[in-house]
Amino acid sequence: MKVEHDHRGQMAAMSMPALVFTIGMIAFPFLYTIWMSFQSYSSTGQVTGWGGENYLRMVADGEFWNGIWITFYLYVLSLVMQLVLGTSLALLLFRAKRLPGIVRSLFISPFMMPPVVAGMMWLVILDPSLGAANWILTSLGLPPSAWLASPVLVVPTLALIDTWQWTPYVALIVLGGLQSLPPSVYEAAEIDGASRRAVFWRITLPLLLPTLVTAMVLRSVDLLRFFDLIYITTQGGPSNHSMTLNIYGFRTGFEFFQLGYAGALMVTLSVLVLGAVMAFNRLRNAVEW
Amino acid sequence: MDITRKGIACLMAAAVTGLATAAAAQEFDWKAHSGETVTFLANSNPLGQLLIDHADEFKELTGINLVIDSYQEQQMRQRLMTVMNARSDEVDVFMTLPSREGMQFAAAGWYADLTPYIQNNVSPDYNADGLGKALLEAATFDGKLTGVPLNIEGPLLYYRTDIFEECGVEVPSSLEGLSDTAAKLKECTDATPFASRGLAAAAPYTFSGFMHNMGGQYMVDGKSAMCSREAKQALSLYSDLLKNYGPPGVVNYSFQQLTALYRAGRSAMSFQSSNEFGAVMEGGDRMDDTAIVPLPEGPGGSHPTVIGWGLAISAHSANPDAAWYFLQWASSPEMQAKLALEGIAPPREAIAESAEYKAWLDESPVRKQWHEALAELAETGTSEIGYPIIANPESRQHVGQAIGDLLLGTVSVDEACATADAALNELIARD
Repeated sequence: MKVEHDHRGQMAAMSMPALVFTIGMIAFPFLYTIWMSFQSYSSTGQVTGWGGENYLRMVADGEFWNGIWITFYLYVLSLVMQLVLGTSLALLLFRAKRLPGIVRSLFISPFMMPPVVAGMMWLVILDPSLGAANWILTSLGLPPSAWLASPVLVVPTLALIDTWQWTPYVALIVLGGLQSLPPSVYEAAEIDGASRRAVFWRITLPLLLPTLVTAMVLRSVDLLRFFDLIYITTQGGPSNHSMTLNIYGFRTGFEFFQLGYAGALMVTLSVLVLGAVMAFNRLRNAVEW
Repeated sequence: MDITRKGIACLMAAAVTGLATAAAAQEFDWKAHSGETVTFLANSNPLGQLLIDHADEFKELTGINLVIDSYQEQQMRQRLMTVMNARSDEVDVFMTLPSREGMQFAAAGWYADLTPYIQNNVSPDYNADGLGKALLEAATFDGKLTGVPLNIEGPLLYYRTDIFEECGVEVPSSLEGLSDTAAKLKECTDATPFASRGLAAAAPYTFSGFMHNMGGQYMVDGKSAMCSREAKQALSLYSDLLKNYGPPGVVNYSFQQLTALYRAGRSAMSFQSSNEFGAVMEGGDRMDDTAIVPLPEGPGGSHPTVIGWGLAISAHSANPDAAWYFLQWASSPEMQAKLALEGIAPPREAIAESAEYKAWLDESPVRKQWHEALAELAETGTSEIGYPIIANPESRQHVGQAIGDLLLGTVSVDEACATADAALNELIARD
């Protein structure tokens, strides 16, 4: 009995660092943000009141709803492109087993690049006056584009840059899933004379669903709190056409000192991210095989 | 405007400074804080970068260990805000722009009071009175000196003399003449006729000159005046110039894009910061085909924008005495003379008269024009960019938003100014 007691004590002691870290680095900041979101601050950062005023202001704030719309527009567009292209790339890498290592490394290199560097690089490439992208378009006789300066194209352009960077990451996850699929199912399909298209739609894709949902969860968390790339390239512009909720909250808090309102925006964003993760977890349980 | 209100307090401070300096100077020891550490939060603009480049000279002179924390302007403020809200002593010295954040930071109690330092603890050759009077006034809040000036700067019109000559046009003598000049250039050259800032957060810096020269003011009788006749004319002129004659994507333009475009020879007129002079002339391609003038005067006269970066000591610094040594070194006549030779306009008038600086100016006509334009800014300029309220940074965003929407063509001038006025009156009330 004593040995078991000692063992429990050791287990508790060993888990203490993780517990302290979780409370200190995750629970405390989140609870502090919730507390801040119920306070009103002056332009100099002094507390001037307490209550649900920030949340009432948020509901009536057009920029908040614009932020919600941009956040989800960017999220859905990026996620769909990354899943389709990531799965395609994974299938290519899975079939081309003799692909040289250097080529494989090149395929997956973009997501190893820091987002700030990627943002700066694309900012230069997409500059409407001096960038390479418009030079290529005009060399081909096509009209130049405003890219990140266009209110219509800014979100699709950001989604394309994010897709360029993160598709390889999705591809690696899907490739892992493909490599773990049971060969016996494919052998049976071959004996039954199933076409390649039928094998993909009726065997590979259904079996890959749990892996795809995992990739969706991981990308969803990142995409809903999309920040660094927008901050580097557009800062929410032109006008407010790429102002996601995260960028809006950051600007409100760190540039305009409205800490309470920024807290309310961030709590709302956190609830949305949490909701998406929970929904995908349910979906994953439903497609588990 | 804002500067004038503080004049008396500052002049008194300067007079006391003069008397006290002589006594204190005799006992001054640059090595008094040798071995101590000062943390400097820097903006990585040309000015901040030059201070960093010369940091070893400070260490050698004082024996103080200087820790440098350098970021781009916005990130620097965000870092500062985090540190100051936590009342942390992580930062001892920071760069600050009194015209933008001075009222806000002073009201929040972030600045240490430098008045006793500049009165009682300066080296014999410091000459506190030699610092620009207007800039000292701009850094004085409630009678307390909150920073020492490092430079003067403002937006200037850089233009290509070769293109103007080729197209047979003259630099316009009036604000409204800019449109005609740009139209003629558009007919004659592939270069962008007129470029200026379009990014919402950055545009008020260049737009303010248009506003004031047109005869407008941001705030009249405590209310936002973006829909006044003059302000609407300024909005219309500025946005039309950029929409019709500006570079593609100008709505995202800040100083980096303007400099890159002009330096590459792709713009005929560029209205941008005097501080970018060094970057624009880098490589020497534009040295011989560029001329520089202040923004032409408008119906309201000539009221160019002039501001200056300063150095401040954090109110939470654990080592303000050593930090003051860094401020004093950076704003000393010797250091500012060095910065002037690298394209940073000095706030000390005496430096402009020095033989070395004059020789540097004489090396190129464009340097002389840059200096003369800045001298005019210093004499006639105003530091009002955005609203003279504590929430000045946020007020700039609303002004910039109106400009951005006009550049995108999504609203009319009446709609843009009405939206801005509504938001700004709410902000003024909250302030």
